[in-house]
Amino acid sequence: MTKALTVAGLSRRYGAIQAADGISFEIAAGEVFGLLGPNGAGKTTTIECVLGLVRPDAGSVQVCGIDALAQPQDARAKTGAVLQATGLPDKITPREALDVFGAFYPVPLKTDALLDRFGLREKQDAAYDTLSGGQKQRLALALAFVGDPQLLVLDEPATGLDIQMRRELHGHIREIRATGCAVLLATHDMDEAAQLCDRIAVIADGRIVATGTTAELIAGSGGSLEEVILKLTGAAR
Amino acid sequence: MTALLQLTLLGLKLNFRNRMAILYGYLFPLIFLVGFWAVYRSDPVPLALHLGQFLTVTILGSACFGLPTTIVSERERGVWRRYCLLPAPGWVFLASVLLSRAVLLVTAALLQLALAFAFGMPAPAHPLDLAVAFSAASFAFLGFGLVIAMLVDNVPAVQALGQCIFLPMLMIGGVAVQLESLPAWAQHLSLFFPGRYAVEALQLSTTGMGLSRAGFDFATLVLTGVASAIAAGAMFRWDKAFAPRRAWLLLAIGMWVAIGFVVETRGLASVSAVKDTRQVGSARDYAPAPPTAKVAPASWHDVTQADIDGIDFKRLPPDEGIVSPFSRGDEVPDPVILPVLDRIRDGLPGWSPGNVSDPVQRARNLLAVAAVPDILQMEQVERFVPRLVFARLQAVIPPRDLPKILYWIAMHPDEGDDRAMHQLGAFGFPDVTGPTKPVRGRVMLYAFKLLGRLAGPLPNN
Repeated sequence: MTKALTVAGLSRRYGAIQAADGISFEIAAGEVFGLLGPNGAGKTTTIECVLGLVRPDAGSVQVCGIDALAQPQDARAKTGAVLQATGLPDKITPREALDVFGAFYPVPLKTDALLDRFGLREKQDAAYDTLSGGQKQRLALALAFVGDPQLLVLDEPATGLDIQMRRELHGHIREIRATGCAVLLATHDMDEAAQLCDRIAVIADGRIVATGTTAELIAGSGGSLEEVILKLTGAAR
Repeated sequence: MTALLQLTLLGLKLNFRNRMAILYGYLFPLIFLVGFWAVYRSDPVPLALHLGQFLTVTILGSACFGLPTTIVSERERGVWRRYCLLPAPGWVFLASVLLSRAVLLVTAALLQLALAFAFGMPAPAHPLDLAVAFSAASFAFLGFGLVIAMLVDNVPAVQALGQCIFLPMLMIGGVAVQLESLPAWAQHLSLFFPGRYAVEALQLSTTGMGLSRAGFDFATLVLTGVASAIAAGAMFRWDKAFAPRRAWLLLAIGMWVAIGFVVETRGLASVSAVKDTRQVGSARDYAPAPPTAKVAPASWHDVTQADIDGIDFKRLPPDEGIVSPFSRGDEVPDPVILPVLDRIRDGLPGWSPGNVSDPVQRARNLLAVAAVPDILQMEQVERFVPRLVFARLQAVIPPRDLPKILYWIAMHPDEGDDRAMHQLGAFGFPDVTGPTKPVRGRVMLYAFKLLGRLAGPLPNN
């Protein structure tokens, strides 16, 4: 069966820093795969290469069997993403954003359905710069879903969210997993990874130092997940 | 295509929700227009001689500030990084920004034109040519606006770099300050700024002979636009974290330099002398009152040779000047304007104001055909039309009467009907609006000049 995402031998260097060094992993449909590691470990670089924001120096990326480096538009049509440091024009409304972004996909989800699903109905005509942080994050998620993706890429999606919003976000991730969509989740929050991820890759200094389920990772070292991660990432340094 | 259209419409909507964008996009061009109107309020025809200038200012403002500010501020806030995740290539997003900017630019220009018409500016002689020239100038400068947007990282840098392009173009590039008012060194330097070519192409479409006379200007605008578009495409970046490929800037700037070099070395543009701003004056400036208490003729029938001998033809403006120019008999017109001259020559016999029964009014009307191109500074044409008018006057007014009638018109420039000056569309001239006194002044001068040729003091070779 075709994997939702296959990354093989991905490398990327920025000057003297090797941000990604031979990263390889696969994600099956309906699987939540976590990239766990400290800041600067290479999670964001890996995600940027997967999404085509950055061209890797070496390696390959396949989204649902499509070569994402050779056919980036086709790969993006099957991918939804929520990244750090992205924004929208100040005066755009959630409805307008969903309508326009949806126009880029062959079979977009209905704007009204997304507004209801992500609790944005009341704010559908409000300017983006008047939305709260949580509402902006909901809109970012709704936009990631607008193309009915088969792969959802989330880079630190819970950063800055309060507990309630974080729970809400986790609910959405579980929902989408149930629909058969694969999720690549980059996080440094070990609880979040433990709660949501079917498998976790621990990344440090641009390399994957361990992969497995939470139970497998804990079993291998005999401590909590936090202790395992600290041990693995510390060892890599 | 649907996505591009939706994104373009959204760009327009967002612009209209931004007060500062409306201020910069619409109010500033109108302020510039009012400025031009105020500075050149003594022009014989309101604003028509400066349309090329104020439209170029509008385009430049949009290209140096409006377009790059939009792109750079969105890129700074991660909007373009978000766009990058959509399944469409970068050119779709650039095209949408350019399209919405073009719509804003066209509406701003139309607003300017509407206000200019309200101030009394006549309709352009070649509206389609004007639209084409405006498009070419917009292409050239918006292309460079994209280069600015790709080059800089933040909005303050857009303002700084934009000013570095905008102000020199305005002050010494022939855009805000007319070339004739600039010293020779600045006129040479202006050859390297495309603003000069934009002004020329737009102005020739308004009061000149149209784009057929502005082929070179048009070509320079297209070339600079193509070079800028290629450079901007090569420098494109979704995210300010990635450095632009700055070497491509050389292509955009290099095209300006190359064009200036070609024009300079091949002598394709002349350096103008300081503009002749001589006042037309009154009839008494050219025909001083005689020392004896001679009675002035009561009608054109009473004009005598002594009256004509009293005119000092040497006081008239020179035939080579800007005011009431007159071609030499052996002067060959540029082949490009021959069709225009043929149209006038062929059209004069059937032009109804030139066939009215009153011979004085008939002559006045025909002289207006020479006066209006002079007022509008229609390059080259204005020099040759007086000869065509002269020939027509000699054909429709008996030789015995013509000197007397010309004298009468010259000495009484404010008499008679002046509606003929609004009926020159048959010759391809724009309508003349505003006070009619300037046209009457030129009618007077040409009456004197033709009389001088009939009477002998002025050469008619």
